[in-house]
Amino acid sequence: MSESNLRDYRDATQRSVSPSFTTGVFAAIGVDRYTICPSAIGEVFVAWSAPGVSAVRLAGDEETFEAWYAERFGRRTVPAVEDDPISTAARAKLQGHDVAVPIDLRECSPFEQRVLHTAAEIAPGNARPYRWLAREIGAPDATRAVGNALGRNPVPLLIPCHRVIRTDCSVGGYVFGSDTKRALLERELDFGAVEHVVNQGFRYVACDKGYFCLPTCGDIATRVDTTGYFGLRSVEEAHAHHLTPCGICRPIAA
Amino acid sequence: MSACPLAAPDADTMLAAALARDVDRAFEDVVITYRSQVVTFVARMLRDDARAEDVAQDVFVRAHRALHGYSAERRAGLRLRSWLLAIAHNLTRNAVRDAPPPSDPLDYDDGAPRSAIADMTAGPDDVLLRAESWRSIGDAVARLTPALRGAFVMRYVDDLSYDEIAETLGQPVGTVKASAHRGLLAVRAQLERSDV
Repeated sequence: MSESNLRDYRDATQRSVSPSFTTGVFAAIGVDRYTICPSAIGEVFVAWSAPGVSAVRLAGDEETFEAWYAERFGRRTVPAVEDDPISTAARAKLQGHDVAVPIDLRECSPFEQRVLHTAAEIAPGNARPYRWLAREIGAPDATRAVGNALGRNPVPLLIPCHRVIRTDCSVGGYVFGSDTKRALLERELDFGAVEHVVNQGFRYVACDKGYFCLPTCGDIATRVDTTGYFGLRSVEEAHAHHLTPCGICRPIAA
Repeated sequence: MSACPLAAPDADTMLAAALARDVDRAFEDVVITYRSQVVTFVARMLRDDARAEDVAQDVFVRAHRALHGYSAERRAGLRLRSWLLAIAHNLTRNAVRDAPPPSDPLDYDDGAPRSAIADMTAGPDDVLLRAESWRSIGDAVARLTPALRGAFVMRYVDDLSYDEIAETLGQPVGTVKASAHRGLLAVRAQLERSDV
């Protein structure tokens, strides 16, 4: 055999390294990493560790971000050199792709985690009231606490807290400012149509299939005054039309 | 030539300088530069791909801890490759001890005086080159005692210089030359017994 088998041995035993190798090392040494990703609101810092993405913040001064991160999470974060599967997924999602992104909410209280997990289920093109979210997590009297939990959302955009608004469909507060929240909502749904419905005193919208919805359930607000769709001022009015609550937006308590 | 090119010395120097400034900020570059080499070295030493990555991660975790205990001056002067391989060698030596290979370990010693050992600077001989397959070399390497295995793999597989191996193992160059050569003789003897 002319070719060296020692070289074959060398090549055959050359190991590749799994894509999560570096993340595993950084998890063990207790240092997180961050990168810059483009998003609907411009460039953002995305910090992550082995369990998932831990923070999303508007990109700016690195030192300020690192100091904020250390203060909030009690860990250091340093600029990443490479993407791994978690940051790659976050990058794709922030550019509008429908991918699952692991999220690290260890730093949040159990209550905050419940609020954020529920907010995460609000699909693009939809919005829900703070009061609705409080009811969904079984704490109907905790609307203000829900608002505070959303205000502390460490991963805005990835957990779409901008889709939680006031009952009167005004946008409410947002970590990046109310104007940004409104701009995000306007990208995702016809917010003008929603306001048009709400400004006429309607709280719900009847659907031609026999149920009634919140005006922020998908594109239903844009259909008002077409055949079978009309505004409703109260639950009683819905019942008078023999309508049942929509199973998706669940406009009233079960 | 190895499929994993070894880092150029100046890259090592730049990494060490970055570590001297800030361990955490420079550490990902260290991992990226050496992870493939460390995982591969560990896998050859353990002959256990499943465990290699875990052990290699532990190498970097221990390295990070050690770096935080060093002065900036000491970090700046580190020869990273041999320093990391030394940590890897220590960890794998313990792991090998915990889980010995299935058959008798090889430690070639024909009783001949060490001065009789032929030219130690020569490359691996024809028996190695003519081995039936790389697997038979792997089998023979796996049967070497940990002390010989490390020296053999570093010299004849990873192509490290004797100086670097001596630094990695913390042994005199003469000892390292002898170990690598004894490893080579033992592997050759094993291949001959296998009727290659």
